[in-house]
Amino acid sequence: MKKLLSLVLALALVLSMVAIAGAEAAQDLPRGETIYFGGQQWGPINGWNPISPNMNNAMANAANARGSRTVMFETLYMYNMLDGKLYPLLADGDIVWNDDLTEATIAIKAAAKWSDGTPVTADDVAATWEVAQKTQNSVYTGNAPYIESITAEDGKVVIKSKLTEDGKPVNPLMIKDFVSGTYIVQKAWAEKLAADNGDDAAKMLADPAADVPYSGPYGPYFANDQMVAFIRNDNYWGQDASMWGKLPVPKYVGHPIYADNDAGLVMFKDGQIDVNQNFVANIQKLWEDEGLPIATYMDQAPYGVCATMPTAFFNMEVPVLQVPEIRKAIAMAVDYDQIIENAMTNQSPTFAQVPRSVMNPTDGEQALYDHDAVKDLQWVGKDVEGAKKLLDEAGIVDTDGDGYREYNGEKITLNSCCPNGWTDWQAAMEIVAAAGQAIGLDITTNYPEWSIYQTVFTKGSQDEYDIFMYSPPGATPSAPWARVRALLSSEFIGVENNWSGNWGHYKNDRADEIIAAIPLTTDEAELKKLYTEATKIYLEEVPSFSLMYRPDVFHAVNESVWTGFPEKDDGNNIPPMDCTDGYGIAALYNIEPVK
Amino acid sequence: MILPEAGHGRFSVERGHSTMTKGMRKYFKKKIFWFVITLIAAVILNFILPRLMPGDPVNAIVGKNISPNATQEQIQEQIAFYKHQFGLDKDLFGQFWDFIKNVFNGTFGVSYSQYPRTVADIIGGGIWWTIALQLPAILVGWLLGNLLGALAAYKRSFYDKALMPVSLFFSAIPAFGAAVILLVVFAVNLKWAPVNGAYTTGMIPSFSWNFISSVIAHYQLPFWSIVIISIGGQAVGMRSMSIYELNADYVKYARFLGIKDKKIVRYVFRNAMLPQVTGLAMSIGAMVGGALVAETIFSYPGLGMSMYNAITTSDYPVISATTLIITIMVLLASFLLDIIYAFIDPRVKAAQFD
Repeated sequence: MKKLLSLVLALALVLSMVAIAGAEAAQDLPRGETIYFGGQQWGPINGWNPISPNMNNAMANAANARGSRTVMFETLYMYNMLDGKLYPLLADGDIVWNDDLTEATIAIKAAAKWSDGTPVTADDVAATWEVAQKTQNSVYTGNAPYIESITAEDGKVVIKSKLTEDGKPVNPLMIKDFVSGTYIVQKAWAEKLAADNGDDAAKMLADPAADVPYSGPYGPYFANDQMVAFIRNDNYWGQDASMWGKLPVPKYVGHPIYADNDAGLVMFKDGQIDVNQNFVANIQKLWEDEGLPIATYMDQAPYGVCATMPTAFFNMEVPVLQVPEIRKAIAMAVDYDQIIENAMTNQSPTFAQVPRSVMNPTDGEQALYDHDAVKDLQWVGKDVEGAKKLLDEAGIVDTDGDGYREYNGEKITLNSCCPNGWTDWQAAMEIVAAAGQAIGLDITTNYPEWSIYQTVFTKGSQDEYDIFMYSPPGATPSAPWARVRALLSSEFIGVENNWSGNWGHYKNDRADEIIAAIPLTTDEAELKKLYTEATKIYLEEVPSFSLMYRPDVFHAVNESVWTGFPEKDDGNNIPPMDCTDGYGIAALYNIEPVK
Repeated sequence: MILPEAGHGRFSVERGHSTMTKGMRKYFKKKIFWFVITLIAAVILNFILPRLMPGDPVNAIVGKNISPNATQEQIQEQIAFYKHQFGLDKDLFGQFWDFIKNVFNGTFGVSYSQYPRTVADIIGGGIWWTIALQLPAILVGWLLGNLLGALAAYKRSFYDKALMPVSLFFSAIPAFGAAVILLVVFAVNLKWAPVNGAYTTGMIPSFSWNFISSVIAHYQLPFWSIVIISIGGQAVGMRSMSIYELNADYVKYARFLGIKDKKIVRYVFRNAMLPQVTGLAMSIGAMVGGALVAETIFSYPGLGMSMYNAITTSDYPVISATTLIITIMVLLASFLLDIIYAFIDPRVKAAQFD
């Protein structure tokens, strides 16, 4: 019996190892030549296909306007949120616009090459648009409302805007998003993909594309359910003087796959992850108390660059919330300092430091509105007496003495919601509910699971949640316009599966006019006037209110293997975007091994 | 019916023998019948229950994939596309038929949250890790627990006084508690063991000593976190069963007859073992579900993780497939148990004659 058992045991162990080992020939990653990332890749990858949204390959395939991850595939431009500018990558020089902004011409760098040695051309860019159209992927669906055509003319890329009825471009800002948020794919590969899959869009998008040529500095090395790894292409074109002038320093890029943020934090502290994209509460304690070689972009609060504002939306379909005084009173009574201290552990500037508006805290956006013009409207919060007074003056009072105010004879009861398990948001919603209780409104919290929450808050009719959280867009080339639109535009009212904005269904005609006007305005003074007016509407009407500031991506580094990561005021102007996103990838050329 | 003829010894033995196999056959038939009925009911529930959860899995995928600038028509097109890919545009009977077909063709369908991966691919990646972790841990926990329990019952005095409170203490620790304590003490503070994963970060699986030793090192904490809590429970159960048996009439009678203690003890523990065998079979059956906690805390790449992810993303096919595996394993375990009992337990054997 015992012998049998030990035999079974040993057999199970050996068999499982054989099953796991397989026939992999690749070498282990040498720690000193590998940079490990955390917090980006969840679960194993499905493939390398750069035009598919379903590859779950975060290090290779994360194209978005705020800064595409250009480890393997590359965009025409790289966005830098620090100065709001686009830096040429595959493109040669800046975008050349015609006078009425209907046409953008972009040259391609002569040195740019694919991993198979062929040059990157304007034809490839045109083919990228063509294959997007054929497969109706997110590149196409996101840009088709703005882009009429993309063609190659005389070796240059020509992007023609869609036009409104009066002959104006629909939105030139969105073309900036396109050039920094779209991976260029090789024409020959796109044609082969279509031929291999019989022109079937679903099959083309599901193709794992194991042999896809890429223009970026790293190519596929190894992937299983524990890790995905890339190896540097030592023939990378970017070592040409017209681009970086050298290769990125680490020979390998790896991302371990683990269960959750807690497991990631354990590995980060242990030095197994170099660059971590998870929110870590009280991150300063890692170096102040635990003495670990961990650093952030700034060594003082708020430690990073905040680019977005998690926001509480008022459901405008609820009669009580159609009263502006009630909305404003709730927003005034909330203790934001407590939210920033507890939920964000001070990794956000306070609303005294960066007064509320439609802008994120970056210098570029803060300069876009007239601070003095809206000064009186920018509440800092915890103003319970002021909120009570506002409600009293509006005639919303407690008539039956139960401690709660009534509206049209009925006690005001509201729920405040966010997804369960999003602990920082839950802490914020608790504080909002407490503010309601303090001013005589019966606000209670409700935390559905994310799978339910996402179904309800994106519905065409907003009928379950009264006050609920989501984030408007952060830093992108089309921001802050994109954020103004997501906060105020009535175009999203009634839209089913609305992931775009205005989830509370607020309507204001003047706001809609401003949103239409900004993309076509090039005069800076006029632009400032429009943004200031939008801010004014937002602060007076309070269709939603920001609860805190937050980075687009968290960026913390463990310097036990690599050092020389971006820091504020280091003179390099590299944004803390995890050394991979947008212009943030420049960091990979600057870091150096510790020993 | 032929009436037995008295005094015809030979015939009566044969008759007794043939009735026994008949009874057994009846017993097995009955067991198989209920096994099939339970299986059918379980398969239907495995299909329906996940789909009763509120929340729309397609909306989440579209939200992740589509640009905020897409038009309403484009969004609806995308939703229709994914619904068609997943067969969600069919009615519930059509979906159930697809589900059955996919079970039999071995793919279990396409995962929603990891589209276009098939469920079989996801499960195939994890199941070996789960089995390699859980099976030895359950067996070792069971063996050690029973040994300690029996020892406590037999030796009493010191062992019992020291062992029982300790066992009770360990059996009362929730699974995540044991895992977290081991992680913090041995990996984070003492650094005796790696913090998580199944092997060193950056290692490429190969049949080398380097890799195997790394797997063994990473194996320890999740393994012992399961063993420790199961030892306690098993020991407590085994001790009470043994004490009960030690005081049974047959033991007293055997002692009275002067049979050696050693021999008596063997009988006692064989009897006390019976309910423990049930427990073992059940925990082997429920292995996949039991793996969830240890695998999550140590980021062990097994099935428990896949199941957890599937639940949080309303990934019906993966939920259905993993719960189906659990169901079938538990049913099989209890079915085999019934069969084994028919042979090893005299009481069950006797019941067949009723």
